[in-house]
Amino acid sequence: MFKERPIVITAYIVCTIFALLAVMPFFWVLMTALKTNPEINAWPPQLFPHQPTLEHFYQILGKENFLRYIFNSLVIALSSMTAILFTSSLAGFIFAKYKFPFRGVLFAIILATAIIPLEVYVIPLYLMVFGVRMMNSYFALVFPFVIMTFGVFFMRQVIMSIPDELLEAARVDGANEFWIYVRVVLALSKSGLMALGVFAFSEAWANFIWPLVVVTTKDMYTTELGLATYQRQFYIEYGPISAGAVISILPMLIVFTLLRRHIMKGIATTGLRG
Amino acid sequence: MTVATDSVSPRASGLSSRREEWRASIRMNHLLWVVCALGPVLALFSIIRVYPILETIRLSFYRYHPTQRTKPFIGFDNYIRLLEDDAFRTALINTLQFCVLAVVITLTLAFTIALLLRSIERASPIYEILLYIPVVTPWVPASVIWKWIFDPQHGILNYWLGFLGIPKLAWLQDEHIILYAIVLVSVWKMLGYFVVVYGVGLRNIPDDLMEAAELDGATPWQRLIYIVIPMMKPIILFTVIIATIIFFNVFAPVYVLTASAQGAPAYDFKVVIGEIYQNAFVFYRMGYAGAQSVVLLLFVLTLVFVQFFFLRDKRGV
Repeated sequence: MFKERPIVITAYIVCTIFALLAVMPFFWVLMTALKTNPEINAWPPQLFPHQPTLEHFYQILGKENFLRYIFNSLVIALSSMTAILFTSSLAGFIFAKYKFPFRGVLFAIILATAIIPLEVYVIPLYLMVFGVRMMNSYFALVFPFVIMTFGVFFMRQVIMSIPDELLEAARVDGANEFWIYVRVVLALSKSGLMALGVFAFSEAWANFIWPLVVVTTKDMYTTELGLATYQRQFYIEYGPISAGAVISILPMLIVFTLLRRHIMKGIATTGLRG
Repeated sequence: MTVATDSVSPRASGLSSRREEWRASIRMNHLLWVVCALGPVLALFSIIRVYPILETIRLSFYRYHPTQRTKPFIGFDNYIRLLEDDAFRTALINTLQFCVLAVVITLTLAFTIALLLRSIERASPIYEILLYIPVVTPWVPASVIWKWIFDPQHGILNYWLGFLGIPKLAWLQDEHIILYAIVLVSVWKMLGYFVVVYGVGLRNIPDDLMEAAELDGATPWQRLIYIVIPMMKPIILFTVIIATIIFFNVFAPVYVLTASAQGAPAYDFKVVIGEIYQNAFVFYRMGYAGAQSVVLLLFVLTLVFVQFFFLRDKRGV
């Protein structure tokens, strides 16, 4: 866009600085997690640990029960992801490929709820879970995350690009609509499902206020809630906390690194947020 | 966003009536399928989204304590109390201050970086991925990492600032500095997303437009002001709205960063979501918290209407 030499040089310098600033905190927390306690509190701070140790990881996973929190987070994130992929693709398919009364109105109502953040209506959600006596359960934790407004919109966009002729051909072959949904639509929107899946997984994994509200005992903590609560204790040590932070980030980082192309493409086409 | 009007229902052809009948039966079949497939999803939407949003508004007119038997209707009393609530006013001012700072800094930096990345297009994917790593990091661990960096005694930030001759700052303990600490974390966390979004918009500006301007002797600055920025206006507007909503809902970083650490009490920085959380789930004043939620709802809706108004205006011209 701007090919002037001074601009190109400035671009390299500025972008490198910001990229370093973006990843520096991760490097620092990893180093802290691997240091011994005296090294963590040393002044001036040392960049690298002299005797790298995994004791903080043992402590956070074993003594502080983070393994259980990770398990809970995984259960919630995977159930939410599965449910959202199913509901979004089904509703997206219907809105993309069928004509029926009130289609525009129904779609507009769904879209209108997209922009309103969960924090606005968290109280009635809580009261509903409270009312059916399901507090502190996996059901309660997953319940608000089985649908995603944005997911319906996103899958509708993806499925609209599937040619009608393919669906017609399947119909002529005698396929019913459910079969078309499973064998044609889902099969042809794999890339979109992947991007949405990553997004749904990370949304459920990262959510903080909902578990904070519905969880009452430690054994139902999610990783986020466990980490936030642990660091609120009166006397805290940064070693185990850093180890906890590393553990909590790791799944996101792995998923992102593996699927970065799908994710970046998802943002490019629809403004998908991750 | 427009709702497409395409259709897959078979076009009427001049074939035999028998065939028409067959098609009509299929269309009925489709309607049944649409109802069966969409019905449950719509039901979930009504239960999990539409009903709670409306119920929040209803609650705000009641004195609602979940364990008390009577939940009397009190009209606008909650809202009147809201006007006299110093904590909520502080929270609102803090949140607005934070929001404006975070939006302006994040978007300005993101736009600059996205623009600069277009000059080094070949290297840009790696930069975008590095900048995107904080975006995929959840707020809680992100804030936990920064809390350690901000540590007044052992934190690396104070250590580095020491080289510049700046004395140790109490980042999270000083009521004037904590705002900037939270802004710093939030900008760091969200920058990458907006760099990528702006990148998409900037790549869509036709090259020949820029080249033509260059041939006409336009300086880079003139090209930026007269071509790039006007063409990016809709995307800039979109990002302002999205960023404002994201930052106005700030809660997890505040929850983490304002917790006292190592015996050093952190300053209790109040934000809107924090107030809602406290009133609803610590004091169980759910009607009152409902009124606070409605304020938040109105704020979000205003933003959406502003966006709608501007986009519509643009199309009309």
